[in-house]
Amino acid sequence: MSWTLARRLAERGYRELTFQAIYAYRQGNLASTVASEQLVARARRRVLESKVLVAGVFGVISLGSILILSPSVEHVFGGGMPRGLYVGAVVSALLLLDLVLLWWMGLQVLPTFLASGIGSCFETLPVDPTTLDRAALIMFLRLFDVPAGTMLILTPLAIGIALGSPIAALALVPAVLTVIVFALLFSLKASQFFVERVQGSGGGGQRTAARWAFLVAWSVPAFSIYGFLALSGDFLGWLSGLANQGSLGALYAVFTVFPMSFAMLPVYAAGLPIIGVNATDVYGPVVAIAASVAYLALFVAAAGWLAQAPRRLYLTTMPASVNATGASIAFVRRSRPMAVLVKDLRIASRTPPFALLVILPLLDALAVGVFTFVSTPVSRDVFRVGVAAVSTAALLATFFGPAFFAIEVIGYSYTRALPVAPRSLLVGKVLLVACVYLAAAGVVLALTAARLFSPALFAAFAAAELPAIVAAAMVEFGILIRRSERKGLQVVNLYASAWSAMLVAIPGLFIAGAPFVVFNLLSGATNWVALEAMALTSLIALSLALQFFIRIERPRGAA
Amino acid sequence: MEGGTTAPGTELPLVVRDLRVEYGEKVAVRELSLEVRPGEVYGLLGSNGAGKSSTMRCVVGLIRPKHGSVQVFGFDPGLDPVLVKQRVGYVPETPLLFDALTPWEFLEFIANVRGLGVDWATQRALGYADALQVRAELNQPIATLSMGTKQKFLLIAAFLHQPRLLVLDEPFNNLDPRSVRIMKELIGQYVQDGRRGVLFSTHTMEVAQQLCHRVGILDHGVLKGEGDVATLRANLARGDATLEEIFLRLTDEEEGVRAAVRSLGGG
Repeated sequence: MSWTLARRLAERGYRELTFQAIYAYRQGNLASTVASEQLVARARRRVLESKVLVAGVFGVISLGSILILSPSVEHVFGGGMPRGLYVGAVVSALLLLDLVLLWWMGLQVLPTFLASGIGSCFETLPVDPTTLDRAALIMFLRLFDVPAGTMLILTPLAIGIALGSPIAALALVPAVLTVIVFALLFSLKASQFFVERVQGSGGGGQRTAARWAFLVAWSVPAFSIYGFLALSGDFLGWLSGLANQGSLGALYAVFTVFPMSFAMLPVYAAGLPIIGVNATDVYGPVVAIAASVAYLALFVAAAGWLAQAPRRLYLTTMPASVNATGASIAFVRRSRPMAVLVKDLRIASRTPPFALLVILPLLDALAVGVFTFVSTPVSRDVFRVGVAAVSTAALLATFFGPAFFAIEVIGYSYTRALPVAPRSLLVGKVLLVACVYLAAAGVVLALTAARLFSPALFAAFAAAELPAIVAAAMVEFGILIRRSERKGLQVVNLYASAWSAMLVAIPGLFIAGAPFVVFNLLSGATNWVALEAMALTSLIALSLALQFFIRIERPRGAA
Repeated sequence: MEGGTTAPGTELPLVVRDLRVEYGEKVAVRELSLEVRPGEVYGLLGSNGAGKSSTMRCVVGLIRPKHGSVQVFGFDPGLDPVLVKQRVGYVPETPLLFDALTPWEFLEFIANVRGLGVDWATQRALGYADALQVRAELNQPIATLSMGTKQKFLLIAAFLHQPRLLVLDEPFNNLDPRSVRIMKELIGQYVQDGRRGVLFSTHTMEVAQQLCHRVGILDHGVLKGEGDVATLRANLARGDATLEEIFLRLTDEEEGVRAAVRSLGGG
């Protein structure tokens, strides 16, 4: 049992892990003709860049809380509620966002951890199991080091600055540690579940449906971001009501809920009131501390479980069911773009990071739809709800769409030998993004129909934006295809070459966003005129993107 | 089943001229020239790292050579990639496929991108799956299959469209003896119509001797010898030499092998 040996093993393993994260040779990517020493150094740099980028997002969220806790913003959102309660609610939201984002990052990263195959290499070495556990743990923690470290430093610092209290900052440290450990635990548990129940699942309609159901269930944390943001106004209003009524018992009950219990620690450390002057908050600190201690006990248990979990994960075997295929089965005829689309959906159904790209816009649409039911007062402005629904579905489909291209990395050293012309590939990917967008728009349409029955208007919004979605996806995938022809394919996710994903999404977001800008500029006049202008902008975007598409070379023999 | 036209006057399945492949400073293939003639199984033999796989990757258009040319039935993989890929069936050295698909889903994708008739392709896929005894695995994710089973599905995918040129990089890796026997028979029959060709690489000299009409012996990217076994024997003035002996002689490894055995023999 040696931490020194574990660190040395983990260092070697991490080098391989970063290499596989970028170049994915074990997933069948085509070998580069660049010298291997350069590739190793480049891989480490790109992974570090991606980690810094994700850490930047955490940093912005943390530092943004200083602004949200400023008196001027509190005046807008706080609605006269006691400052302590407002701070507690904002810090809770901050912790929840950190938890969900780190969990989400874990879901993106862990398939790379598993696909690197580094664990099975270590298992053949004459090293005791405890050292192997430690090596796996160190490698696993290194996946998250920069983002989690940023969160650990900046979140307490930002709250300390906002409240002008160093003690408040220190009081938040256990909370952030707990959030990090819980996020890692959820990531590992989810990944283990996927390996055992999703990735080894056989073909067929029923199994596919079950896989998607599992994937949706595990995507709920991501959904909770939207849910929380959508409902935050109502939540603050509810808390304010409890404070104004002097319902201390109800407030104490809220303080026992994670992460509110932790969020109240800096509030009490800074001596902020949680209730009006007519009542006395005697037991609040006791409740918050007691609940936090209970969660810290869970944190200790989770940390203990984490010590062995990474190695257990890569030792988890994928169960395979043997099912004799009957003679009645037959291939289904599809065009080349449709074959690419169906292949991508099938891969996504067994690969959580790709599945999330499909599911997130749908869950977002669900959140927008549900929001119309719970929001008070009810928005009767169908145009406003329509724009909100269609724009979020459109922008999410456009933002996450380019990541679908990373599927091509899988087995690329073989599939590049197939007669698939770049145009067929591009059309297949664009169809996928368009389908995700239309499905998301359909979800909103169905949900809002019960509350704001105006299907023709919603359909008109969805149809007006569709050409722009197609145009945006065309430009994004066109750039990626051209780049892959010059530089080879790259894995693009939150952990690997995240810059590439972000950069390529920028023109797409501009194109998909332009029709909404036009609608908003003109909606002061007549909504229907604005909608027509939106559709026209969308069509212009498509016609421009088609010029780009036409320039993609069509090889001889391509259908 | 593959379509398209053949460039006039160029009926040779494969012509490689002065091919050079580099990986950074490392030269994998040095000015290699070879031909695969109609009705021929051409064996590319060589040690690990001799340049066999790099040559094959150039032929199917996976990598671009530093210089030199490749013509598949008259078409250049760099200029007419789709026309070349329509005519070629390829088995890579390592069976790294879509782990998240089942073999059935994978073969259906192959059939669709190759534009095959679904009934015809279904029957062919099932026929091969039965012959190679992998029908029960058709609906399991590829990730759960053994390397040998994955290799069998790669072979099925390569044969599915009845390509005019088969490019098989160590195709018998991980296969059981029964499947090796079947595939050897199939490859032998495959070129009997006198129109198709097979480019085949292997480390197993016995297989090459049984299967290949001609062989090319690659050493550090250089073609050291080429021809049928009888011609190579005649060139070396050793009428009874096996292909293994010819290989070792041409790659100057005979003494190296003896020295290695001497140094390790006591250990």
